[in-house]
Amino acid sequence: MFQFLFKYPSNVFAKGKFVLLSPWPVWLMILLLAIAAGGLFWNIRQRRGLLSTARSTVIWLAQTALIAIVLLMLWHPAISVARLRPQQNVVAVLIDHSRSMGIADDGKPRLQSAKEVLDTQLLPDLSKKFQVRMYGFGKDAVRVDQPDNLVADDNATRIGDSLKHIAAEAGTMPLGAIVVMSDGGDNTGGIDRDTLAQLRQLRVPVHTIGFGPDHFDKDIEVVDVAAPARALPQSRVSARVAIRQHGYGGASVKLIVRENDRPLAEQTIVLKPDADQSETIMFNAGAPGSHSFQIGVVPAEGEQNTRNNSVVRVVNVAEKRMRILYMEGEPRWDFKFIRRAIDDSDDPAIDLITILRTTQNKTYVQGDAKAKDLENGFPAAAEDLFNYDGLIIGSVEANYFNNDQQRAIADFADRRGGGVLFTAGRFGLSDGDYAKTPMAEMMPLRLTSGKTFIRNFADPSLTEAGRESVITRLEEDRDKNIARWKKMPQIANYATVGDPKPGAVVLMTVAESGHRPSPLLAIQNYGRGRVGILATEGTWRWKMLQDHADTSDYIFWQQLMRWMVTETPGKVVSSTPKLVLSDETSVPLRASVRDKKYEIVSGATVETTITRPDGGSDVVSLKPDPLEPGTYTGEYTADKPGTYVAETAARQDKTEVGRDTITFRREDGVAENFGAAQNRDLLEKLSRDTGGNYYTPANAKKLPDEIAVSEAGIVAHDNLDIWDMPIVFLLVILIRGGEWLLRRKWGVV
Amino acid sequence: MRFRIAILAVLLCCGFSALLAFQAHFKEYKGEEENPTAVPPDPDERTEWTFARLRYPSGRYSGYSGEVGSWPIDFPKADRQFLAGVRRLTRIHTRSAEQVIDLTGDPTEIYNWPWVYAVEVGHWDLTDEQCKTLREYLLRGGFLMVDDFHGTFEWDVFVQSMHRIFPDRPIIELPDADPIFHTVYDLDQRVQVPGLQYLYSGRLYEKDGFIPHWRAIYDDRGRVMVAMCFNQDDGDAWEHADNPQYEAKYTSQAYRLGINYIVYSMTH
Repeated sequence: MFQFLFKYPSNVFAKGKFVLLSPWPVWLMILLLAIAAGGLFWNIRQRRGLLSTARSTVIWLAQTALIAIVLLMLWHPAISVARLRPQQNVVAVLIDHSRSMGIADDGKPRLQSAKEVLDTQLLPDLSKKFQVRMYGFGKDAVRVDQPDNLVADDNATRIGDSLKHIAAEAGTMPLGAIVVMSDGGDNTGGIDRDTLAQLRQLRVPVHTIGFGPDHFDKDIEVVDVAAPARALPQSRVSARVAIRQHGYGGASVKLIVRENDRPLAEQTIVLKPDADQSETIMFNAGAPGSHSFQIGVVPAEGEQNTRNNSVVRVVNVAEKRMRILYMEGEPRWDFKFIRRAIDDSDDPAIDLITILRTTQNKTYVQGDAKAKDLENGFPAAAEDLFNYDGLIIGSVEANYFNNDQQRAIADFADRRGGGVLFTAGRFGLSDGDYAKTPMAEMMPLRLTSGKTFIRNFADPSLTEAGRESVITRLEEDRDKNIARWKKMPQIANYATVGDPKPGAVVLMTVAESGHRPSPLLAIQNYGRGRVGILATEGTWRWKMLQDHADTSDYIFWQQLMRWMVTETPGKVVSSTPKLVLSDETSVPLRASVRDKKYEIVSGATVETTITRPDGGSDVVSLKPDPLEPGTYTGEYTADKPGTYVAETAARQDKTEVGRDTITFRREDGVAENFGAAQNRDLLEKLSRDTGGNYYTPANAKKLPDEIAVSEAGIVAHDNLDIWDMPIVFLLVILIRGGEWLLRRKWGVV
Repeated sequence: MRFRIAILAVLLCCGFSALLAFQAHFKEYKGEEENPTAVPPDPDERTEWTFARLRYPSGRYSGYSGEVGSWPIDFPKADRQFLAGVRRLTRIHTRSAEQVIDLTGDPTEIYNWPWVYAVEVGHWDLTDEQCKTLREYLLRGGFLMVDDFHGTFEWDVFVQSMHRIFPDRPIIELPDADPIFHTVYDLDQRVQVPGLQYLYSGRLYEKDGFIPHWRAIYDDRGRVMVAMCFNQDDGDAWEHADNPQYEAKYTSQAYRLGINYIVYSMTH
C-alpha cells in the first residue's frame, strides 16, 4: 500500500534526501504562496456575509493548501538516493543452518521455510538485479552453491563472527548488501560492537529475515546462572538463576542443583506470570577440586523444549587453607565462640590465628604454632600482614596500631585484596576512635562520633539483602532460614554505627523495642578486597541461649569468614571469562601478577600449562597487556570437548612469584538448546544499526525492491521524481472535493 | 480514652517482656552472706564478665543443713576482692560486684553467664533437673570452676554428682602443659593454697586432703569444661587478700590461677 501511494518503498524516503530540481529559487515559491494566500484571504473577506469566520477560515485553508501543493509540484520535488547499480553489485545471503533451525514450529523446520522464502520470493528478483552469493552459517560462514544441501546440524550460531567473515570479503568484491536468514539464536550473547562498527564503516546494510516464533507456548528456560568461579572446601555457595517462562505463570516448579546426577540442593519456586525472574539457590561446594554443577529447573509437564532447563557451571574448589588473623583488644565471649566456630568444625578451609590482649602488656596467640612472628603483637610490616587472607579487628583501640599499621590495614583490603571485618566493642569502631584513621574510609558504614557501644539486649533481623545472602544463610531453604533467624536469641550488645555508604549492603539490622533499627552487619567491596562491619560483640548468646546441638552461631561465623577470604587473590590470579565453553573453542587467558607487597609486577615471565582432556599438555605464553600493567593475556584453542586444567606460573628474575590453577570445560551440542525461539530483538537491532530492515517470511517479498537502496558497493545517486506520486493527486482531489462538499453543505456553491 | 489505655497496655507489655529478656540483675543476699562487705559502687553495671557464684542446694552430706547451705562460703567478700584484682590486672571488662546464679530458681539464667564459680562442692546436693541444666550449660560452652573441697569424703560427694552430670566423661589431672596454666601467667610451679584455718592450725591441708590437685573434665575437643581446685581454698585466698597475716604467695597464686581460668574460659 505504501509503495502504491508513494511510488517508492519506504526506505527510499528513510534514506534519501528531499531536493527541489527546479532552477527557480525557493524564496520565489514562498513569495508566490504568500501572495496567493493573501489574495484568497482578501477575496473571502469581500464575501464574509455569506459564511461565518470559522467556515471562511476552513475554505481559505483548503484553497491555500491546494495552491501550496501546486506550487511545490512546479518546483519539481524529488528524492535523491544512492542505489545499487544493477548487475554490478553483490548481495550476500546468509542462511543459518544451526541446530535450532531444524525445529519444526508449525510442522515445517525453520531451515525449510528459509529455503522456500529464498527460492520463491528472493532469488528470482535478486538474481535479476545483483550477483547473489549464498553462505551457510553456524559457527562461521561458508559459501554454498546450493542452499538445498544445507542441513540444520551446526552446534552453534555466531552471527557476529559470520558477518565479520563476510565483511572481510567486502574488500575483494562490490558488496552492496547482506541478507541474514536466521532465528537469531546467537550463542555468543549478541553481536559485538567491533563487528557492528566494521559494517557501519563499510556502509553495508544488513537485512534480516526472522524465522520461528518469538517464544514457545509452553517452555521454561534457564537464561543464565551466576555462580562463583572459585570456592573454599565445604563452603556454601550461592547461584543466581535467571529463569524465563511461557505458559507456566503461577506454577510451582523445583529448582535443583546436581553434581553427577546426584541432587545437592533443591527448592520450590513459583513462576511469575509474564515476567523473567531470578532465584537464588545455595549448595555445598564440596571437597577440593573442580566441580561441574548442573543447575536448573526440573522439567514441567508439557514443556516443548526441556533441553534448555539447566546449565552447567564449573566451580574450582581450592585446596589451600585461607589464613585469617583476628586481633582482639580484650577478652570477651564472642572471641571464644568465634574460635570454636572454626575449631569445632575442623574447618578444612580456614586457619584462624588470634592475638588477644589479655593485660596491658601481654598478648595471647592461638591457632598457629608457626605464628612466632606474632609474639610481639600485630604484624609491624605490611608484607607480614599480607601473608594472611583475612583480618578481623575486634575491640582494640585504633591507636594501638601505629600509622604504618593503620595504612597497612587499609591496604590489606585495597591492594592485597583481602577481607577485613571490624566488630564493635568498648574499643571498637567509633568507641575506639577509628573515625579519624585511614581505616574509617574502608568501612561500609559511616562512623558517628562519641560512644556508640551499648550493652543492651536487642533483636537482630535480616534485611531483604540479608535474606538472599550466603553469609546469613543458616538453612538451605530461604523461608526456613528466615524463620530460623526470627527465633534467634537476642544479642548481648551492639553499637549504633552510622548510615551505610554508597555501595554498601546492609545484611542485618538491630533494634531494641521501640527504637529505630541500625545496621548490624554491613559489607562492601573496597579496592580489590572486601570490608564488613559487625556492630556487636554479643553473638555468643546465639550459642549459649540455644540447645547445645544448635550450630547457628558457628555456621554464621564460618560463612562470614568464608565471605572474607573466598575471593582473596594470591600473588598470581589466572582467569578466563567463561569456565564452560558451550560449543566454543577460543579461550582467552588472563593473569594478574603481584609481588609480596602486592605491588604490580610488569616484567614477569608468565606461562600457562594446559592439561588437555586426553592427558596431553600445551604451554601458552602470556604477554603483558599494554593497557593494564601487571596483567598478562593470551589465547588458547580448546580443540576437543572435555575438562582442561590450566596452571599459570609467573617468574621474575628466575624467582617464582606465584602460580594459580583454574579448570574450564568445553561442552558441545549444548548452545543451540537455549534461546531456541526467535530472537527478534537481536535481528531487528542488527538491521537498525546497519541501515537495513527486518522482515518476516510473510513480507520478505518486499526485500528485493528495498535492497537496492544502499551506500555500499557500486552505487549511483538517483533523483527520483515524487511530483507524480499517486498520493499527491489523491491529496489534490481530497482537498478540492472536500471544499466543494463543504460549500455545498453550507449553501455557498 | 480506650485507645490510650490500649496503647499504654501494649507499652507496658513491651516493657515487661523487655525486662524479662534481660539477664538477672545484681542482688544482695542479706542473711546468707558469710563474710558481708560493703556493696561497691555501680554493682549492676553491664559488663562483659563478672564473678558468677553458683547458688546450689546442700546439706544432705554434711553439717550445711541449715537454710543457707554451703554456697555462700567466703561470700561476698572473696568475690568482690577477686573482682577488683581482675579489673586491675587484666583488660577484661569487669563488674565491681558478683552475680549470684540461683540454680534453684530460673534454670535458664545460668546460660547468660558463661563462667560460674561454685565453692564447697563436697557438700552440694543437686537435683536431677539441676544436673541436667549444668550438663547442658557445659555442653553449650559454659565453664565451671569448683573450689574449696577437701579430702576423700568431699571428693566422693563431688564425683558422685559429676557422674550424674557427665556419666561418660573422666576426671583427669591437668598436666602442667595444659593451656589453662599459661593463658596469662605461666603456672607450672603451683603450691597448695590453704584456707584461713592455716593461720591457726599451721596446716596447709584440711581433712585428709594432703595433696593439692588441679583436675578437670574435658569436652570432646580436649578443652576444660569443669576446672576443679581440689584440696585447696582459692576462695579464702581472695577473701583474705587484705589480711596481713595471710601469706601473699598464696593470694598471688589464687589470683593468677583465677585469672588464668577466666581468660581460658574466654578463649577456649
